[in-house]
Amino acid sequence: MRSRAVNLGIVIIAMALLAVTAVGLLIGRSGETDRAYELQQRLRCPVCTSVSIAESQSDTAVAMRRVVEEQVAAGRSDKQIIEYFRARYGDWVLIDPPARGRTLLVWLLPAVVALAGLAAVLAHARRAPPPAGDLSPADRARVDAALARARPAEEEP
Amino acid sequence: MTTAIPAAGWTGALLGLAASLVLAVLGFRAQRRPDAVHHRQLHRLVWLVLGGAALSMLALEVALLTDNFALAYVAENHTRSSSLLFTITTAWSGLGGSLVLWALVLAGYTAVVARQVRSTEDRLGTGALAIMGIVGVFFFGLITTVANPFEILANPPADGPGPNPLLRDHLLVAFHPPMLYLGYVGFTVPFAFAMSALLLRRGGVEWLRRTRRANLVAWSFLSGGLVLGAWWSYEVLGWGGYWAWDPVENAALLPWLVATAFVHSSVVQVKRGMLQAWNFVLVIATFALTIFGTFLTRSAVTQSVHNFTQSGIGPPLLGFFVLVLGGGFTLFALRGERVASLSRPESLASREGAFLVNNLLLSLFAFVVLLGTTYPMLVEAVTGAQVSVGRPYFDRMAVPIAFGLLLAMGVGPFTPYRHATAGVLWARLRYPLLAASAAAAALVLAGVRSAGVVTVVFLAVAMAGATVRQLAVGAPGRRPRDLLRLVTGQRAYWGGQLAHLGVALVAVVIAVSGAMADRATVTLDRGETTRFAGYSVTFERSEQHRLPDRLVTDAHIVYRSGGKVVRVDEPRLNSFPGRPRAVGTPSVWTTPTRDIYVALADLQPERVTLNLYRYPLMVWMWVGGLLVVAGGFWALSGRIRRRDESTVPATEEVRSDA
Repeated sequence: MRSRAVNLGIVIIAMALLAVTAVGLLIGRSGETDRAYELQQRLRCPVCTSVSIAESQSDTAVAMRRVVEEQVAAGRSDKQIIEYFRARYGDWVLIDPPARGRTLLVWLLPAVVALAGLAAVLAHARRAPPPAGDLSPADRARVDAALARARPAEEEP
Repeated sequence: MTTAIPAAGWTGALLGLAASLVLAVLGFRAQRRPDAVHHRQLHRLVWLVLGGAALSMLALEVALLTDNFALAYVAENHTRSSSLLFTITTAWSGLGGSLVLWALVLAGYTAVVARQVRSTEDRLGTGALAIMGIVGVFFFGLITTVANPFEILANPPADGPGPNPLLRDHLLVAFHPPMLYLGYVGFTVPFAFAMSALLLRRGGVEWLRRTRRANLVAWSFLSGGLVLGAWWSYEVLGWGGYWAWDPVENAALLPWLVATAFVHSSVVQVKRGMLQAWNFVLVIATFALTIFGTFLTRSAVTQSVHNFTQSGIGPPLLGFFVLVLGGGFTLFALRGERVASLSRPESLASREGAFLVNNLLLSLFAFVVLLGTTYPMLVEAVTGAQVSVGRPYFDRMAVPIAFGLLLAMGVGPFTPYRHATAGVLWARLRYPLLAASAAAAALVLAGVRSAGVVTVVFLAVAMAGATVRQLAVGAPGRRPRDLLRLVTGQRAYWGGQLAHLGVALVAVVIAVSGAMADRATVTLDRGETTRFAGYSVTFERSEQHRLPDRLVTDAHIVYRSGGKVVRVDEPRLNSFPGRPRAVGTPSVWTTPTRDIYVALADLQPERVTLNLYRYPLMVWMWVGGLLVVAGGFWALSGRIRRRDESTVPATEEVRSDA
């Protein structure tokens, strides 16, 4: 009886704490995000090795950052700004590959593999061994004898 | 004298090549007909391989230390003004030398394997030696042909350009590459035993037990190598981060992910006889990925500090990768049926089930990283078009998988084998869950608004809490001595838990330092002050220092708090003779609660442009990494009773289902 009360207490307190967390996270979501910085992270620095212009200190990246900031200040949309750079540098400049065209597969394949893997794990666990109960006593004895012979051989390499 | 040393190195490499070849031939013959070969013959060959590799490495170091510029490798990678430390590390700062180190580590592992093979009746062992001989033939072959560091120049230069400037700036260059190699190369051992077992058509757990030690050593060193690599990137490269999802970093992460899956799934096979076939797949994949990673980093397909020169090493590495993958999986396909395990988990709600989920997630993670890394190359090869796959992609994919892994780490180790009821799990996890909820609520009340940070902290606290509970319940008493007894008694389990705690700590720091970082780019005239992270930051002056091997230009950046000077940082630019571009070195001010990181974007005598970063809790990332490595070695330290293998029961270590 007492343990049930303890369990109930834990559930209630944990729920209350999680509710506080969820409410805090929901109302705390301010709309203020650094749009320019987010866009800069999605554009590849043309003169570096696989970093975005947000992370590079090269002159080219600094100049591109300035262009992004100017365009954000001018009120252009994310799409327009990304398109602007794509027109100049090609698809290569998008370090965040779009989920269409040539880079669609890079998004699709992980989902396919994840589902296939999940199916494989479920199938593997489902195919449980047949219940041991339907063996006749004679068979049972044979299995036990075989096991007794096999076990030491396997356990001692 | 100038040619004696290169000749000695070359002789060592040839000796290694020849001995590896004979080892492969005799090893296979011994596996087929144990009485046709004496095990002393194999031992002698292994000693020759090791001696050859050691001679090569020694010759290279002597040539570097004596400024022997008649040696092509020295002429290309060394300079007289280099300090002693960086002269020694230059031996692996170039392509040929790094392969000599590889061969030496491989020879070392081969010698350790040979010590286990005490008679040719040990057919699993002789076969493994043969496989290691084949791998040795390949690497010594590279050293003696396309990546030969011992070429002799007819007209030696008076001095050389020195190693890549990035590789002579930080102490970590002395530790990161050897550690990574000890990891990478170590996976040859489980691969060799797995191949040998398949050749013998022998499933079972013998190959797993015999390679557990090598596998854990390799895994621990690779973990350490990865962490040190990230640290080096953070301390040296100056871009303000530690991980860029660069192909080179991914190349080291890939085998680590698959090897981590293997470390876990091998436990399932040893304890419960499951996943036998899957373990072969993982082992072949791990080894193949180390070769593929070397191909990615060392050939010209990617640009990075690890890709030293244009060389002909790409095609042979790719060829060997195809051979390993093709040969390995063909053999597996032919023999797989015989080694497949018949038992299956009774229920997914069990320790085995958690291991399966862990393997699924880690394999998926590896697949995503492999796909993202190779996709641009594949697209370019097929269509000729250039596309990029970078950080935003990897981050978006890695975050949900990492959450899943943290969850599995929080539940799996506290779930009993065979079948877990909800009641048992609740009893073990209720207080940890309560603590985690309290931590999450406290963070939100303290003003943290990042859902990612709160989730990671929740999962990490739950896991840490469950670990502490397990410790408290499992120990015979509450005194430190009792706890120590528990932790030393079941080293495999508690080593694993230590590594898990390390991973959780790293995850928390990744989330916190990512979501709660401050960044600023400021341009300051001399004497000008700005505010950053609660300090007033002043550019005081710039100085030049001439060192033997470089010209250093630094900026004195003074931090003041309440008018008092609390810190002077000196980020600097290093100009090396013969290198056109100066290399910047950032300056990091570390305290337990945060790092302040300052890198030079532009430096003139009277004006400086700085990139300033504030990363909360950053130092704990390296502590977490250290915990992971320590966990690996703790798990390893348990079984020193290798000598009398036949008497060691398999189920000795993980029995803490209490």
